[in-house]
Order: sequence, then structure tokens, then C-alpha cells
Amino acid sequence: MSQSPFEIELDDITLARARKGELSACETIFRKYQRPSYSVAYRICQCPELSQEVTQEAFITAFRRIRQFRGDAPFWGWLRKVVVNHTISALRRLPNRPDTEFQEYHAGTDAPQEHMGLAMDLSAALATLGAEDRAVVWLHDVEGYSHQEIGELFGKTESYSKTRLSRARGKLRELLEAPFQRESAGGVVV
Amino acid sequence: MKIELNSKVHQMQVERDPLNLGNLPSLDPPADGWPVVEAALIEHSEKKRIWRSTAASLALVATIVLVMGLTLRHPRLTELAPETPGLAQQAAPDAAPAGDEPAVESLIALSQRLEVQLRRIRSDAPLMSASSVVYQVELQDLVAQVDEELSVEPDSAELWGQRVNLLLDLPRLYRNELRRESARIASL
Repeated sequence: MSQSPFEIELDDITLARARKGELSACETIFRKYQRPSYSVAYRICQCPELSQEVTQEAFITAFRRIRQFRGDAPFWGWLRKVVVNHTISALRRLPNRPDTEFQEYHAGTDAPQEHMGLAMDLSAALATLGAEDRAVVWLHDVEGYSHQEIGELFGKTESYSKTRLSRARGKLRELLEAPFQRESAGGVVV
Repeated sequence: MKIELNSKVHQMQVERDPLNLGNLPSLDPPADGWPVVEAALIEHSEKKRIWRSTAASLALVATIVLVMGLTLRHPRLTELAPETPGLAQQAAPDAAPAGDEPAVESLIALSQRLEVQLRRIRSDAPLMSASSVVYQVELQDLVAQVDEELSVEPDSAELWGQRVNLLLDLPRLYRNELRRESARIASL
């Protein structure tokens, strides 16, 4: 199974220092998890400024409440929950945001080059989905959330998550296959 | 055996993420977000420090005034008086250094008794004005904040003292509402 990008271990000493409120430890944690946090926010919001804002808000909340983290599960899971909750509430605060706008693609420098072409298509297709569909498909397929967890996150049922997921995947498949079919029909494929 | 296992893992992966969204690369934020986060954390800890020192310096005076007022004037709370000798001294954080076990225990007991008293008073309390409700909610928020800190430092006499002081503020609020309500009825 592919891992969630959040799955980065954190050492106990840094965590203990952050719990005491040491800023240098907080910065270490921020630097470690900033990228996956921003990525999940961006994949759902599709807006760089909003995603940056959501990421910062989420880290501020996480550091203020870090004493509530009991340590019985990995830290990254707890932090991811905070980030996802902030992202979903940002979407709720801005219900009429245009979410079909195509966004410029910013790939990280260490992205595998052989996936670049496909990634461009997938990324663009994902951007055309509605925000809730995007959130459901991303949280389920990439972050490994269960339908129950997604339902709870949106204050809805498991069936809501299943329906949304199936619809989102169907739409993505259509979008990904469409250019190929057009090329086949025009006899461009070699 | 290993090939079979790999193929099962692959199958599960395809079922979980059939479109391979997990292969999309991580993204870099447009700017470094740490300065904003750092500034917010510094501001928060500064506010917390000010709140603590203010609460500590006011605690002694507030406790004495409140306890005297409550025990003398509120019929419900007169029951507390014989059970809590030296209440004012115990509730004051300055008078109860951290790690002083008997002081912590009596503060915990006092806090529990106040919770019981509050439940009784609440059931008899009249409807509150909007400003009192706002104040009540603020007090309850502060109690929740102290509770959060107590979950980390359960034996801190200072925190228990703060909790008791906040709980003492709540009956005062109800008492004022009762007084206002009595005045209103008398004027009819």
C-alpha cells in the first residue's frame, strides 16, 4: 500500500520540547510537515493562498493544543486530522468559491520524472472536480480515510462518502480518458 | 510466496487508489509560513502569561471578597461555610505552592463541592440577561482552559486555585441575577 505523504515519524525529544512550548522544536515540526500539510490543503482547495492560510492556521492550532496529543497514535495522524479539519472548515466558510478554475501546476523538485506527464493530467482532472468530491476522493484514496471517517468529517453518513467517491472517480476516469479517445478518433495515435 | 504477497498488496493498492492519485507529487507552498506561525505562537504565550499573572495577583483579594459575600448573602452557599475553613487562603494560588499535597487535596475537594453547589444553584436560577450569559460563557471557557492545563499538571496547586476562583465567580453571577430578578418582581 502506498503511504500517506504525512507518514513521517517524529522523535520523542522534539515532541516533548514542543509540548513545553519551545519554539525551535515547533519550527522543526513545522518544517517536517509543512509540505504534506500544504499538499493536502491544496489538493482539496485548489487555491495556493487559501491552502497556505489553512496550513498556517492548522499549525497554530496544533501547537496550541499539542498537550492534548496523548501519544497513543503516531503524531502525524493527529496533525493530519487537524490540517484536514481546518481545510474542510475553510471550504465551509467559503461555500461559493469557484472550484473549477484550472490552477498552475507546482510540482516539488523531487517528483519522479517518469510520472510527470500522467501527473499533469491527473492534477488537472482533479482540479475540475467540485471541492467536496475532491476532498472525498483525496482523503479516501490517498490519505486512507474510511468512509465512516469521511462521513463524520462532513457531518453526513457513510453512504454519502461512498456516493461521492464513486461519482468523483467516474468523473476523473472520464476526464483522463477523453483526450486519448479524441486522439484515437482523429487517427493521431501512432 | 513473496510474489503472491506482492501481488496481493498491489491488488489492495489498486482497489484503494485505482487512479493512482497517490503518485501525484507533494507540493511546495508559495512562501515560508513559519514567520506567521511563530508570531502567532509568541502572541499566544504572551497573552497566557499575562492572564496567569493577573489571575494570580487578583486571586487572593477576589477570593476573600467573594467568599465573604457568598457565605453571608447567598442562602444556598451558606452550607459551604462550615465545611471549608480557611477557604480564602486555600483558594489563593500564592498561598498554596505547587506540590503541597494537603493544599491540593483540599482545593480539589473545594472545587468538587463548588461544582455540586453550582448545579443546585443553576437549577433554581432565573433566565439570565445577554451580558450575563456572555460573561458566564467566558468563565466556563476559562474553567475549560484551566482543566486542559490540569490534564498536564494534575497536582498544580496554582491551577486548582485558579479553578476554584473561577467557580466562585459563577455563583456570584447567579446571585446578581437573583437580586436583579427580585428587584424586578418587587417593582411590579
